[in-house]
Amino acid sequence: MTTDSTDTELLRQVHAGQADAFTALYRRHQGPLYRYALLRCGSGDAAADIVQEAFMGLLTGRLGYDPLRGQLQHFLFGVARNLALKLDEARQRHPQLPEPPDDDGEPDPDMASESAGPLARLLGNEAAEEVRRALSLLPPHYRDPVILYELHDLSYQEIATVCQVDIGTVRSRLARGRAALARRLHALQPAPSHDAHLA
Amino acid sequence: MKDDEFKDDTIDPALATRFAALRSELAGHDAPRCVEKELLQAFARQFPKQQPWYRTLSLPQWGTAGALASLCGVALLLALAPHQAITVGPPVIGIDSGAAFIALESLERIESEPHARVVEAELPQTALASLGMPLNPQTAGDTVRAEMLVAEDGHPLAVRLSAVN
Repeated sequence: MTTDSTDTELLRQVHAGQADAFTALYRRHQGPLYRYALLRCGSGDAAADIVQEAFMGLLTGRLGYDPLRGQLQHFLFGVARNLALKLDEARQRHPQLPEPPDDDGEPDPDMASESAGPLARLLGNEAAEEVRRALSLLPPHYRDPVILYELHDLSYQEIATVCQVDIGTVRSRLARGRAALARRLHALQPAPSHDAHLA
Repeated sequence: MKDDEFKDDTIDPALATRFAALRSELAGHDAPRCVEKELLQAFARQFPKQQPWYRTLSLPQWGTAGALASLCGVALLLALAPHQAITVGPPVIGIDSGAAFIALESLERIESEPHARVVEAELPQTALASLGMPLNPQTAGDTVRAEMLVAEDGHPLAVRLSAVN
């Protein structure tokens, strides 16, 4: 089995019962899918569940992937997005107790992280962790295009397919998502010190 | 991936830097190994490996097969083994002018004996029955004069009956 095998060829071998093909397919796509789900849900456990569920669907043929309708990677992003939406709905149906606000009225990310997975610290790099937390606070319909465009290099058309919206909607959601993200990150920037102004 | 015609280059440079940091940081994040393990277990359940035929046999079936194989082996060995034909036939009997000649060994063996000698003897008629001679019950107790052709080592080769007493 070569690494150059196409996804379609690997899928054909998977459905013929070749475990090596399934392993190759999984290792090829699990990384981007997990990273997408991690940013989308903000929880490593939820992301792992989503990856497992998506590949289980692929394995059993329950998802009905059609190679003629697009790349497998984008199809899996769409599956992961739908699973994340279901997770969001479940969270809304069973809301956690609200966290007490800080003095400035904003929820404390660290306090929220203990009850809501998305705000738990996941990354070692401070700048990366800041933008991940800011992303997790975006509404999901803004979060998806930002993650897929900025971190997975998908085109507007591909994002439109994954999110099942038109390209114009992708453009506007991406622009609004970026703006909201920039505002939130700007708010996190430490204010210039008084001494610096005096200097 | 990204279409140039759609690519939006108006992204805030600070945001782009942070995205680059996030992308770099995430590069090492993969799904936990347990996910692959569980998926492979699910795969094995969905596509169970077909066992080789010899693993599908039960112990009694193995016993029967072994016994049959042994029988076939023995039969083959017997069929292929070089064996000497053991023929037990009546001695060669010749009647010559009232005297009977009974060869106890093959004619070739008798002819090849270099130092055969003749020994006269009296034999009970019952002993002749075992050599294929007809036996009259009324004279079964009589004896018959015989000349025995004996090999050098004393092994009897032939008998010539000269007269019945």
